Amino acid sequence: MSLLRTEGLTKHFGGVAAVEDLALSMEEGEILGLIGPNGSGKTTALNMLSGFLAPDAGRAWLAGEEVTRMAPDALARRGLLRMFQMTRVFARISALDNLITAGLARGLTERETQKRADALLEELTLAPVACLDAGQLSGGQRKLLEFAMCFIAPPRVALLDEPFAAVHPVMRETMAAFIRRRNAEGHAFLVVSHDMPIVVELCPRTACMNAGRLIAAGATRDVLKDAAVIEAYLGSGSHA
Amino acid sequence: MNDARNLWSRRLRTDFRAALSIIAALAVVPLFVSSPYWLGILVVSIYFALLALGWNLLAGFTGQFSLAPAAFAMLGAYATALLDYHLKAPLAIGIPAGILATALLGWLLGRIVLRLKGPYLALTTLSFAEISRVVVGNSHEFTRGDQGLNVPTLMQSRVGYYYLFLAVLLGVLCALYLLMRARAGRFWLAIRDDETGAASRGIDVVRYKTLAFALSCAICGLAGSLYGTFSQLVSPELGLLLQTGLVISMVVIGGMGTLTGPVAGALIVYLSSELLRGVGNIQLIVFSLVVIVFARFFRTGLFGLATGRR
Repeated sequence: MSLLRTEGLTKHFGGVAAVEDLALSMEEGEILGLIGPNGSGKTTALNMLSGFLAPDAGRAWLAGEEVTRMAPDALARRGLLRMFQMTRVFARISALDNLITAGLARGLTERETQKRADALLEELTLAPVACLDAGQLSGGQRKLLEFAMCFIAPPRVALLDEPFAAVHPVMRETMAAFIRRRNAEGHAFLVVSHDMPIVVELCPRTACMNAGRLIAAGATRDVLKDAAVIEAYLGSGSHA
Repeated sequence: MNDARNLWSRRLRTDFRAALSIIAALAVVPLFVSSPYWLGILVVSIYFALLALGWNLLAGFTGQFSLAPAAFAMLGAYATALLDYHLKAPLAIGIPAGILATALLGWLLGRIVLRLKGPYLALTTLSFAEISRVVVGNSHEFTRGDQGLNVPTLMQSRVGYYYLFLAVLLGVLCALYLLMRARAGRFWLAIRDDETGAASRGIDVVRYKTLAFALSCAICGLAGSLYGTFSQLVSPELGLLLQTGLVISMVVIGGMGTLTGPVAGALIVYLSSELLRGVGNIQLIVFSLVVIVFARFFRTGLFGLATGRR
């Protein structure tokens, strides 16, 4: 049984098909890359998977349970966690309070959350800024804080939307190392990224979208050599 | 402010202690002030402090900018008054009924405005407030319209009323403190800072927003209901937008998103407005200017200035 699966997921905005008939599948403990040029429908697909957008058609399952049109908070409590391209932290409370809030929302006690938060802050190099308001953190630190919030209680799958965009290389490596460690513990990730070297490094399998449709899926190196993928990124005639 | 004092539980504890010290100071005031007029002014200040705390729960802690706190005070007062006028219900039933009715109406309004933000939310709640006031003022057969309704008093003693209002203020403060340090309080802060982020972490935004509306309106309803028994007259004027403006000024000047700010703001603004009464309507101009200065330069209000949290 797949951990996360979609069938015929479709979303139109007016006459534009943002996502059309999307069939994705990922397994327990997998890191799946999702790539595609700007406007190809990746974020719309993530919005539907995480409950922020209702699909016009199609269905989605999480560990066998149908989750189509389920609210984002209900999905989060089931272990489907989302990280946004533009970070979503609680700016006027401290980084540690952000983590405590996330832990309580996932059903942990305050004591348990505090213990896990301390460990995550240390692991993600955020301990020195734990008591600063999240709004005072740098963009990279906010992204790390979002990672920590997702993992305050072990998620079933984390959906990461451009986690490495506009991040300092040192922090990028901290994030990549965090993903690798958690993956080694069995956690699954769906990573949307334009950063091909890191997709190649992290994701054994990748799916590529273009103009709302899935145009290729399989082993990452094969997908990157696929003629349709090259054409989507570089334009027609580029593989000739 | 990179130290543990910035953690929410510690900030809240400091804030609560400051609010308690104001209440302790208020508790000894009747030892020095015996004038029924000034005790009455202080009772009205505490009534506004309750409204300010209620509004602050919604706007300061949850980020939902409502323009209906005075309307809910009016509705709470009318629920109590109408039960007495039509059914001769005792105040022991009338006051809880006022709280319950406003909580239910607040919950309903919260569901209606669930997806509205910013100016759209403010305008919808303003419309609700004005419609409520106009309906109450024009339902002559049921409410006696602008003539208002007489309400029985709970006691004749002004000092007694003063301590009753003070005890209710203390109760509301303690309840808010307990709520704010619990799960609900943290979730409200998360919703205030980022509603989408809150939902994505697993917070049931619909549930906690409507709960904030219901509780905020219930506090305003309780204040209105008690105030009606104090003034022994309720009229649609209780729900005037001007009253809501005063409540907002009190919270902005005192400090939004704190427990001390609304209480301190209510006392400062109402007592100052009494002192400035002799010079005509100039007090409204003064408060408007002070609110503009605070909103522009001191977002955390007097409490923020006092605690060094800009």
